[in-house]
Amino acid sequence: MSWEFLLDQFAIQFGLWWIIWPAILLGIVVGILPGFSPQNTLIMLLPLTLAVPVEQAMAFMISLYCANHLAGGIPAILVRIPGSGGAAATTLDGYPMTQKGQAQQALVLCFTASVFGGLITTLATIALLPWLSQIGLYLRSVEMVVVMLFGLTLIAVIAAKDTLKALIAGFFGLLIGVIGTDHIYNTPRATFGFLELYDGVPLVPALIGLFAISEALVMIEEKMIVDEAGRERAMQARWSDTVDGLRLSLQRWWHIVWTAFVGLFIGIVPGAGASIAAFVAYQQSRLWSKHPELYGTGIPEGVIAPESANNGVTSGTLVPTLALGVPGGSTAAVMMIVLQYHGMVLGPRLFATDPGVAYGVFVSMAVAYIFMIFTILPLARYMSRVVLFETSYLAPIIILVTIVAAFGERQYLFDMGLALVFGVIGYIAHKTSYHVTALLIGILLGPLFEQYLVRALRLSEGNLMILFSSTLGNVLWGMLVLSLLLPLWRAYPQRKQAAERFGGEA
Amino acid sequence: MKPRAPLGADLVIPAMALAFGVYFFFSITDLAWEAKANGMVIGAVLLVLVLIQLVRIGLRIYRGEADLRMNSIMEPVEALPKRIGLVVITIAFIATMQWLGVTLGMVVALFASLWILGVRSRRALILVPLGVGAAVYLLFVAALQSDIPHGPVELLLAKLFS
Repeated sequence: MSWEFLLDQFAIQFGLWWIIWPAILLGIVVGILPGFSPQNTLIMLLPLTLAVPVEQAMAFMISLYCANHLAGGIPAILVRIPGSGGAAATTLDGYPMTQKGQAQQALVLCFTASVFGGLITTLATIALLPWLSQIGLYLRSVEMVVVMLFGLTLIAVIAAKDTLKALIAGFFGLLIGVIGTDHIYNTPRATFGFLELYDGVPLVPALIGLFAISEALVMIEEKMIVDEAGRERAMQARWSDTVDGLRLSLQRWWHIVWTAFVGLFIGIVPGAGASIAAFVAYQQSRLWSKHPELYGTGIPEGVIAPESANNGVTSGTLVPTLALGVPGGSTAAVMMIVLQYHGMVLGPRLFATDPGVAYGVFVSMAVAYIFMIFTILPLARYMSRVVLFETSYLAPIIILVTIVAAFGERQYLFDMGLALVFGVIGYIAHKTSYHVTALLIGILLGPLFEQYLVRALRLSEGNLMILFSSTLGNVLWGMLVLSLLLPLWRAYPQRKQAAERFGGEA
Repeated sequence: MKPRAPLGADLVIPAMALAFGVYFFFSITDLAWEAKANGMVIGAVLLVLVLIQLVRIGLRIYRGEADLRMNSIMEPVEALPKRIGLVVITIAFIATMQWLGVTLGMVVALFASLWILGVRSRRALILVPLGVGAAVYLLFVAALQSDIPHGPVELLLAKLFS
């Protein structure tokens, strides 16, 4: 791959601005609304992407996909409702920033972290593609089981206020995630007699219920989302707040870079996805911070880490899709279908036979990110005004509109009722600190966890010791245990000091 | 004397998890081991975690530091009727959608929700439900053409525009 080839690719992609811009705007709308996934939107638009030349189709799909990842953080920050699973971790510090009257800064942090995180990892992917494509090959079923448990444990540790409660929520979620028919014999399990649950618990109603509805039920306790001081600040939102957000991002440029790479490496693992990447990045960011106790109170690093990582995933997901022919996620699977329809043979040979398409996909992604920052940054000032609405208007609109959105994925009325049930569960979990996010991630990982666990157990004829049979797996087990113990070890001096102080006072 | 912490509500999620775990266990008893393995592994870990939580809460009650009041999910008491009202309206919205359709159902449900939450401005009570109803119609019925239940409004508009 020469510089000339690369520059030609950039020139071609910039020439597709007329298809990239509408795709970005559509991706932003789809990303903001919970219940609208990029893969479903792309499926609905298949008549368009199959009809146009492959370069245009890919530019459209890639731009929509990247914009969707970015926009999921907007409702997560403004009203604590993640637009997608990948933005769930953004609520942890994004919403507290809004409550402090810093919604505009939080949005700008989200946009810059997403765009630059995505851009950096895309450029890195272009340079490192032949090596990156090998990573997914080292993770087999045993390692994937540990990766899933590791992800769940990290979330429990992130919860920090009460790890045990978060673990209960996470494992409860995992068990809910197993509802439906099993992967081998298709026999139904714990479906309460509902045919609609045979395919498992649908994720969109779970996401809408656990976050949107539960949050709306809590929201009505106060007149406004923000306190009086925050309201004053939001009313006086100026362009200088956008500049302030940019300054905060620039000061933390290194944070954007390394958390984006966490997303990239996790994105390469098929099935891992943006949700896990965002939480792992958030946890790592907190782990290496000098002030871990400030996480969750509304700090810039808490917004940067998950947003940068979930956009780092975008290029990572496409690596196994193009290099191995194994889709890294459901959106990548739709793109794969379109590529195959256009006669592309995916796998290592693609880079020799059609380098324009293979590398063009990543160049298209880089160009989409460049267009995106100019599209979305000016909107931060106006979006932040959402917090000025009274909760007596916001709460019912959120509940009723998202309930309708729950219908969208599978077109079942049943899913609306399910969203409400999850809303009540989420409300109880929220009020009793059982960490709603851990519950959701459990539900999200449940089917994947089962798939890998059963595959591993079939290899060992049911012997659980296979989970400790691989070197990489054992290293991951070690990291899992460490992630549980390290916070305890770090908290020990503080507890000791507090005990001594208490003793002294007594 | 330090007031006792109300921990009754902390038992709701573990109780739900436990009840669901038991139901799950009974639903898989006759299945092949491959269909059971995952549920058994997760269920066993969940059981241990719930037991630890029960012991933890039990010890606090035994020491006189806590009791079983459900305050955390009930408070603030003045918001409780509003919260229950919103849930009831949402159930009614879903249940009547087959007959009212999504647009009319949305307008009626939003009007009732705003009223319950204390909105008394006539302008807001009329304009907000109509505006949101129109947006829902445009997005879900006109643009996405989803199979969401159609009622009198959707049928009338379909006749007008066909």
